[in-house]
Amino acid sequence: MVTVLLSAGWAHRGQKTFACHEGTVRDVIKEFVESYPLYRRRLLDDDGEPLTYYNVYLDGDLVETADRSRVTARSDSTVAIIPPLAGG
Amino acid sequence: MTSVGDLDTAGPAASTAPGEMVRVPGGTFLQGSPDRTLDWLESEGQAFPRDWFTDETPQLPVTLPDYLIDRYPVTVAQFAAFVARTGYVTSAERSGGSMVYSDYWEIREGACWHRPAGYGSGVRNRDDHPVVHISHLDAEAYARWAGRRLPTESEWERAATGPSYRLWPWGDTWDPGNANTAEWTGGTFRGLAEWREWWSAIHAAQGPVPQTTPVGAFSPRGDSVDGCADMTGNVYEWTSTLAHLYAPETRCDPTIHLVMGRSRVIRGGSWMNFRYQVRCAERLYGDPTGWSNFALGFRCAGDAPAAGVEHNGR
Repeated sequence: MVTVLLSAGWAHRGQKTFACHEGTVRDVIKEFVESYPLYRRRLLDDDGEPLTYYNVYLDGDLVETADRSRVTARSDSTVAIIPPLAGG
Repeated sequence: MTSVGDLDTAGPAASTAPGEMVRVPGGTFLQGSPDRTLDWLESEGQAFPRDWFTDETPQLPVTLPDYLIDRYPVTVAQFAAFVARTGYVTSAERSGGSMVYSDYWEIREGACWHRPAGYGSGVRNRDDHPVVHISHLDAEAYARWAGRRLPTESEWERAATGPSYRLWPWGDTWDPGNANTAEWTGGTFRGLAEWREWWSAIHAAQGPVPQTTPVGAFSPRGDSVDGCADMTGNVYEWTSTLAHLYAPETRCDPTIHLVMGRSRVIRGGSWMNFRYQVRCAERLYGDPTGWSNFALGFRCAGDAPAAGVEHNGR
């Protein structure tokens, strides 16, 4: 399974890691929101597509916005979703 | 926490420097937070775990030469003068919008330094407020034009905390009347749910209008030992420093590790924050590629003139 990682700043009830199926980064984010709709407003636009204001890292590497539909997250990968203002 | 830092507020103000800049005397100070501050944060019942704050540790000695730093964040009027003289177009204007907070962060079309809440908003009667919706690129462009530069993270923290460690610029005892934070605007919050209620009421009445205040509105009670104003709250402030850990063995929230070497350090917290996020040693990290938001501004710094040639007056 792919691990989706959120910062403590976005975590609800302290949960920062979630499991999703393999797929493109875009698909992983969409599946994550489907499983955890609490995050829909943060992560998807009105058409259900991932918003572009946050950064996504795949196994530590920044995935450019244009590449989110092409880059695949394999099992054992970690997809980290990080707001543009991190920490705090 | 003890209030040892409060005693220093009675000390002499730093000498003035040209153009509303403060000359900070060189020397060695301790940058970052001691473990006792993290113990205190854990004991306060605030929203974040200890590893959210470990990026402030270990506390390390840093030596700086004399330098200059703006007494206030750059204002709307100052930024307007820069734009009028240069025709500069900000990142937000080029991209067509910038981030505001409604019920979550969102990109608001048209939001920029002169339309802080998006189309239909403006900066009338806000000349003396800190400018917002400023990207790192914008801040650097202004600083170059002004013959200055952004402060390093160390310069920013030394100007805020003074020669000895303190939680806030005025000392170690929180006073909501000393700075523009959510606790000044909305009173003491018992958690994020109450913060959301506070912001929802403002947003319903005004829209996503930044709750900034005129620079220096909390002076002198909220000033640092060296006379810098608004180091706590009002607007987040860019620094020139690339995000890094103070020590390679430090472990913090995994997402914080990911922005190291990529983001630029932001300091001071803003009008949106609680007391914990506006401490002198608190670190945030901003995407430097053109991102901005409605609580994000900056101030400038500069190298100190050599002794004997300084024009020492405002």
